[in-house]
Amino acid sequence: MQMISWGRRWAALALAAVLVASLGTVAARGAGEPVKNPDTFVELGFGDVSTLDPALGYDIYSYEPIWPNVYETLIMYSGSSLDRFEPMLATQVPSLQNGLISADGLTYTLPIRQGVRFHDGAEMTADDVVYSVRRFLLQDQAGGPAWLLLSPLLGVDSTRDDKGKIQVAWADVARAVSAQGNSVVFRLKKPFAPFLTIVAAWTSIMSRKWAASHGDWDGGPTTWQKYNNPKDQDRYQFNHMDGTGPFMLQEWDRQAKEVILVRNDHYWRKPAALKRIVMRTVPEFATRRLLLQQGDADLVVASLNQQSQLRGIPGTILQDNLPLIALQTLQFNFRINTEANPDAGSGKLDGNGIPPDFFADIHVRRGFAYAFDYASNLSGGYAGKGVLPHGPIPQGLLGYDTTVPMYTTNRDKAIAEFKEAFGGKVWDTGFRLTIPYTAGNTARQVGAQIVKDTVTALNPKFQIEFRPVPASSLNQLLFAHKGTMYFLGWFADYPDPHDFAQPFLAASGYFPVRGGYKNPEADRLIDQAVGTPDPAKRKAIYRQLSLIAYNDLPYLFLVQPVQFYTMRSWTHGWYYNPIFPGQYFYTIYKQ
Amino acid sequence: MSAIRSTSSAPTLPFSRALAPARAVESGWHRTVRRFRRNPLSVLGMGIIAMFVLTALLAPFIAHPVERNPYMMPHSGYAPDPQPPRPGHPFGTTEEQFDLFYGIVWGARTAFIVALSVIASAVAIALVLGSVSGFYGGRVDEIVMRIVDIVLAFPGLILAVVIVAVLGPSVRNLIIAIAAVEWPTYTRLLRGEFLRVRDMEYVQAARALGASDLLIIVRHVIPNTIYSVLILASLNMGSIVITFAALSFLGLGVPPGYSDWGQLISLSRNWITGTAGDPFTFWYTLIIPGTAIFLFVLGWNLLGDAFRDVFDPRLQGSR
Amino acid sequence: MTTFIARRLALLPFVAVGVTVLIFSLLQFLTPAMRASLYIHDPKQLNALPDIIRKYDLDRPVYIQYWGWLRQVLHGDLGWSETAREPVADAIRGYFPATLELGMYSFACILALGIWLGTAAAVNKDRALDHLSRFTSISGASLPTFVWALLLLMVFYGHFGWFPPGRLSLDADLYVRGGQFHAYTGLMTIDALLNGQWWIFWDAVRHLVLPVATLTYYLTAVLVRITRSSMLETLRTDYVRTAEAKGLSHHVVIDKHARRNAMIPVITLGSLLFVGLLSGVVITETVFNLPGIGRWGVGASQQLDIPAVTGFALVFAGLLVLANLCADVLYAVVDPRIRLR
Repeated sequence: MQMISWGRRWAALALAAVLVASLGTVAARGAGEPVKNPDTFVELGFGDVSTLDPALGYDIYSYEPIWPNVYETLIMYSGSSLDRFEPMLATQVPSLQNGLISADGLTYTLPIRQGVRFHDGAEMTADDVVYSVRRFLLQDQAGGPAWLLLSPLLGVDSTRDDKGKIQVAWADVARAVSAQGNSVVFRLKKPFAPFLTIVAAWTSIMSRKWAASHGDWDGGPTTWQKYNNPKDQDRYQFNHMDGTGPFMLQEWDRQAKEVILVRNDHYWRKPAALKRIVMRTVPEFATRRLLLQQGDADLVVASLNQQSQLRGIPGTILQDNLPLIALQTLQFNFRINTEANPDAGSGKLDGNGIPPDFFADIHVRRGFAYAFDYASNLSGGYAGKGVLPHGPIPQGLLGYDTTVPMYTTNRDKAIAEFKEAFGGKVWDTGFRLTIPYTAGNTARQVGAQIVKDTVTALNPKFQIEFRPVPASSLNQLLFAHKGTMYFLGWFADYPDPHDFAQPFLAASGYFPVRGGYKNPEADRLIDQAVGTPDPAKRKAIYRQLSLIAYNDLPYLFLVQPVQFYTMRSWTHGWYYNPIFPGQYFYTIYKQ
Repeated sequence: MSAIRSTSSAPTLPFSRALAPARAVESGWHRTVRRFRRNPLSVLGMGIIAMFVLTALLAPFIAHPVERNPYMMPHSGYAPDPQPPRPGHPFGTTEEQFDLFYGIVWGARTAFIVALSVIASAVAIALVLGSVSGFYGGRVDEIVMRIVDIVLAFPGLILAVVIVAVLGPSVRNLIIAIAAVEWPTYTRLLRGEFLRVRDMEYVQAARALGASDLLIIVRHVIPNTIYSVLILASLNMGSIVITFAALSFLGLGVPPGYSDWGQLISLSRNWITGTAGDPFTFWYTLIIPGTAIFLFVLGWNLLGDAFRDVFDPRLQGSR
Repeated sequence: MTTFIARRLALLPFVAVGVTVLIFSLLQFLTPAMRASLYIHDPKQLNALPDIIRKYDLDRPVYIQYWGWLRQVLHGDLGWSETAREPVADAIRGYFPATLELGMYSFACILALGIWLGTAAAVNKDRALDHLSRFTSISGASLPTFVWALLLLMVFYGHFGWFPPGRLSLDADLYVRGGQFHAYTGLMTIDALLNGQWWIFWDAVRHLVLPVATLTYYLTAVLVRITRSSMLETLRTDYVRTAEAKGLSHHVVIDKHARRNAMIPVITLGSLLFVGLLSGVVITETVFNLPGIGRWGVGASQQLDIPAVTGFALVFAGLLVLANLCADVLYAVVDPRIRLR
């Protein structure tokens, strides 16, 4: 070509040379090839870490590095079990038999292990344990997990009242958590059956001296109020960690979205096999998958609908059907705020909208319950992976009972119920409503589609639409009570039925506060069940609660999903416990 | 070209073109069409766009609407994995079983409606602001241009994302967002054109004769500036569809199930790697909407280039 | 010249204020609950919405919030970005180098390829080479960026394993984080050379190949079109025809006479391209998992992280004014007829 000058030809040659030279750094790859990066484990997920402070973090992505990899708790779940514990930073698991739980169930004593060192070298004492728990209770960030221990220990859900004023006294806190020699004593306000399991998951221990020397509370009685309700960035522990666990924090690179842990060679048990852990966020699924395929990643997290693309990749194993203690539900709003609310249409039962108390009528709710296609929701939204729930207690927890009835798809019954709703007015006039759901969530999109398809097929006067909304808008709708129906999920804070019964059925629970459901009998039973130590009695009460949920029908319990991980076949020693927020790298090795 | 042809065409002075519209248009049009036809690429572009226009117009007949909103694709079942082309679904189905054929056909309508709405809004704003700014100059011009600078100082995609994030994702808001990004370019263009035309003799003559400003703008200025807008608009048609697809990719697109090429192709990102043994398992989720977008953008680009070759006065009179 | 530059730079604060006012006025559409969503990472935290609104003063009127933010900025504090989990200034400083590196190399490739193809197309107008180069460049812009990005990744990483996503491979990454490596600029290629670590340089180059290729392919079309029409114009001018008539070789005519004058619109486009790159990188950064400012900026916008968006927009506006300034200076250099007023 006449236009190519010599200059241009040299440029092209140079470019080609650069490309070829860079290939020289390509390492060997492929299935059957030797292990890539044998002492570093790379995990790829899609959620972001928001803080590394165990007293402030509340989402699973933040908690994965925290527990149990860097920070440890007083007792630990035994293997994959959810109800058997073994000692961890305590030397004994309290029970009625060994007397470490008092007969009235109000006092728990945990002897603290000696000779355990923090990552900075200091030795752990009961003083550190007391400090860590008190800090957890008193820092109480808005939206944080403090209520989990505040509730049993101090009988309140927050250190602040509705106006933002502090409502707890130091004396109560000091009494609730205190040191007695080499033991730590917890004093509860009322008997609380799940207390040990909350201790197992939420009492991460850090060094008091380390915290105090970096600008945090010193543990004293007069200064704690200044440290209440912090902003994430105000704490050194936001991106620095000093725990007792098998790994230490090397770096949290917030731009590269990576958390890098290194092995703690002075761990109080045998040090881990892996020298380094890299937890990275890679939002694009295709990229994650290719990295796993090439061996540049060892474990990849993906959503259920993507599983078909991860099956059968050479050199990988798929750990499937991992149980989750979680429920996906569809909540009815009993008191819809119809002011300036296009989702409720006209706000009246005139065929062009719904009135505020539309879902307060049990027949309407039953109509929706019998119309819904649960099987298709499971197969379409969750790739068929999961179980259909029998009420608010998920499988795997005490109180799960397959004899509790559940609603099944029944078109005739649905029609019959709708015909009775509002004295027949619903059937004659019809209605119109829109369901908002979290944008980008395919499972909920499918659920909304199914509601629309099944219910509108019953009567041409029934009009249902659905629209995706970004999270901020959905939060706004929830806040203002404007949503018609909500797709909401609940993941266990701790593996006990109380953590499901209370949020779903108590009048002050997470869901009823928004939806307006109330049943004093449920409140009574919930309090009774949590105060009894006897598992058999509790099981019976939770069965009663499940029946209440069935009869009152404040929610459609849609799915208890499962999850899966895909990992390279050179990964060994991995095990799963549903309560872990992520992987427990201590036992893993590559070979 | 033969000497006879070139001497029979009208002189190229804008003065004469404006004063003798009938004669000039006729020979101008002939010349335009002839130059158009000479270039095979412009003919190709024309053909592609014509095909899409037909599809968009005949959409209800080619793919019968099933839902109340005809832009919503019908779905058969809820299975999560896309299914390949088969009887009843000639283009296959995308995730959650939306019919691709329906989506492509009605997507043509969406593409035209969205792109034309954006351009119409941008041109409307630009006409008002650009004419005021270019015609009157001075203070007004400074202010308008500074506003344009400010909006242009914003990275286009970020501005669109912010607007959609604030207003909420719907087709209407997406059009508003993209129009908000595009209007400065049109304003600058029209302002420049107005400046150029303002100083021309015949306009000054008309002013001297006492014609009102509005009359001058409408009768003389606009017809002469239309070509540059046409060129820009035709190139923009394609890029707007691409921007729409980019917004879908970022999760700010139309609701799922809406017939929109951009959304269909952004859905393909989850299936592009295929299954372990066969990366082409879900080829149709990418190839089919991809071809539609590709041809649409290509067609408009070729057409735009052709318009430029034909209409650009600086290139006229060349062999 | 200096007065010209000074006058242009004086535009900067005006544009900056305008941009920030624009963003804050969009806040009017947001309710306190929506703004509070920024601080919620898990649905379980929803019950704390009133507490969060109270804590961050989210129910104060917009102009008070703007004034509070402005005061903060005038003290040199751009605020905290919830999405970046670090101060806005740190986030910008941290994210910018990756985008700059990607943009820099892409810019060079786009310029080289675009001008070459455009010139070739102009000189061979309506012949096969013209059609081919136009078709190739247009096809690059005919599909959304992520399609090319994913296809390239699948073929050249998934199949061949040559060019991985990310900035560096694991070994290089760990070395860079270690104490011995000093990050002078934040651009991996430059820093590797400055540290004398050639293997890191090649590693960084290897990771840049696909993202640069994606951006180049996508953005070359515009430059080809402008160059082509500009060259066409210039080739028809009298002085070029005179040069040809005088018997100068075609080659010399193009390189020495025509191209210089054809560059003016190209310079305009160059500055626009520089800015346009920032929009294009978002998707490239997402697919290739690069910690760049585009990806962060879009994420911050989606989650309504106002301090982040404002800080980001300020930096961007500043860059644009500078880019326009450079363009104007270049005009004067290229064309002696242009005088800067």
